[in-house]
Amino acid sequence: MLQLNNICKTYQTDKIETSALSDINLTINKGEFVSVMGQSGCGKSTLLNIIGLLDQPSGGDLQFAGQKITSYKDKDIAKLRNEKIGFIFQSFHLIPDLRVLDNVELPLLYRNVSAKQRKQMALEALERVGLSTRTQHYPNQLSGGQQQRVAVARAIVGKPELLLADEPTGNLDSHMGNEIMNIIESLHKDHNTTVVMVTHDEAMAKRTERIIRVFDGQLVH
Amino acid sequence: MLKNYLLTAWKVFLRRKFFTFINLFGICLTLTVIVVATRVADNHLHPKGPEKTNEHYLTIGYLALTNDSHTSTASSYPGYKFMHDYVIPLKTPEITSVFTKSNRISTYLKGKKVKYSMRRTDANYWKILGFEFVKGQAFTQDEFNSGKAVVVINQKTAKQYFGKENPIGQTISIQKKSFDVVGIVKNVPVTEVDSFSDLWVPFTTLPTTAYRQEIMGNFSAMLYHSNLDQLDNIKQEFASRLQQDFVAIDDFTQAISHADNPLQAMARDIFGDPRSFEDYTSTLVIAISIVSFLFMLLPSINMVNLNISRILERASEIGVRKAYGATTMQLVWQFIIENVLLTLIGGLLALLFSSFILSSIEMSGLIPYVEFPFNLRVFLISLLMILVFSLVSGVYPAFKMARLDPVLALKGGA
Repeated sequence: MLQLNNICKTYQTDKIETSALSDINLTINKGEFVSVMGQSGCGKSTLLNIIGLLDQPSGGDLQFAGQKITSYKDKDIAKLRNEKIGFIFQSFHLIPDLRVLDNVELPLLYRNVSAKQRKQMALEALERVGLSTRTQHYPNQLSGGQQQRVAVARAIVGKPELLLADEPTGNLDSHMGNEIMNIIESLHKDHNTTVVMVTHDEAMAKRTERIIRVFDGQLVH
Repeated sequence: MLKNYLLTAWKVFLRRKFFTFINLFGICLTLTVIVVATRVADNHLHPKGPEKTNEHYLTIGYLALTNDSHTSTASSYPGYKFMHDYVIPLKTPEITSVFTKSNRISTYLKGKKVKYSMRRTDANYWKILGFEFVKGQAFTQDEFNSGKAVVVINQKTAKQYFGKENPIGQTISIQKKSFDVVGIVKNVPVTEVDSFSDLWVPFTTLPTTAYRQEIMGNFSAMLYHSNLDQLDNIKQEFASRLQQDFVAIDDFTQAISHADNPLQAMARDIFGDPRSFEDYTSTLVIAISIVSFLFMLLPSINMVNLNISRILERASEIGVRKAYGATTMQLVWQFIIENVLLTLIGGLLALLFSSFILSSIEMSGLIPYVEFPFNLRVFLISLLMILVFSLVSGVYPAFKMARLDPVLALKGGA
């Protein structure tokens, strides 16, 4: 599903060069549920952003679904992100001005999907996360756990092959966190979705099939 | 997609009520001024009253006499002699009319002194201009030739003098002379400078014939042709006649005068060197365009700043949309559509405000008899300006923000 060869990422400011990732070699198979752990600032979010094609590596190459990413042109990358990847963020990132249903429909707006079909797919996704009764609410009318469930519904509405979750339970209490984790696990099992999850929480990480540890921008084996 | 954009835009406007108000206020104020200016200018260039025929005639209302070295120049309205010698004999116009500018005169009504505007004209005047007669008719060529004391009056004068009685056949005393009322016309707005007046009488009723000897005076002329293509020929014939046939008066060896359409006349008034025969129309159009553009540019720059800060607050939304597959161009369109929507709302308010301002001007009597009826052309010009304003103020912020790096945007910064 994913192959990273000698990936590195450096940030250049005036005179200082900071290395965020160096020499990352990693393979993630289709249908795998992987967690990425490490201390704050070790580069795990940068790694997730590179896997999610939100960020461009400074060196090395990335193969995504058997296809080598050679172009980071806005249009090509946007299409790939839209069709193959679903994102879940720590702070939910729901659009406050849109109702739950419209938030969930968002990824489908950038595809050739009719309004009727969009609505149907969004309702299915909301049902999947147990929020089919909250479609007309605004995000600020929901609890944190409910908001994250909406974000999960948004991530899966387009049926992506890869789900990237950046500390999805980080802003939630353990009960809510467990609920979200259960949903992600069941998605993984039922649809064979590949999941890469960044987490600080050892207990959550242990529920995944493999733990990848990052230290100072490098993988620890 | 569009529905989603509009929905988001609407919600953003409602969420940031104060910001939306400030934005709308700026847009509305700018566009109101522009729409009012456009309607006033359009009213001048495309009158609805008697001068609605102005496409078909040129006017002469200026004469400068100068010596060879241009060291001595006299200028004013032309006098009747000038018209008689150099304008009336022109062959190209189908109809030529000579008339005075309107003067304020005093008369007595029921023992009370009242002031009216009066204009002295020939009979052709009524053939060229599109006066609407409510009653009676214009004075005839015969009445003009014989110097008969007849008068055409406007509705306001008719009402003041005669109330509900029929004024036709009754008399009005003007400068101690009795004039028979032969026609009543609708009130003419003062903005139609060559037709505005309260009273119109034949200039052959002047107490003396001294005016016939005057090269400078207070006369104007209209040169009419039904075929628009002939207007240029009229212009040329007049210019060459002046250059070739002008008979020197004392030191003054050269006469400069122009047969202009309203736009040319306005341009010459503002930019023209009276001694020049050049056409200043394009200068006027360019100047108006630059002034309008600058007038819109300043609030636009302000809007650009407001827009950037508004969109910046939505960095997270930009990041999410990008993460879920929005291209930069799709986001650019989203923000442009939002701005167009806001500007259109401001524009519609501006159209309402400008109508209110103009109808207040109409009702105040500040500009006598002026009317600003709704006009599709002005509406479309205004709409175009609103759109230009919206694009000028919206495109740059949209591009700047849509190009945000998604990782940074998700962190909430630029």
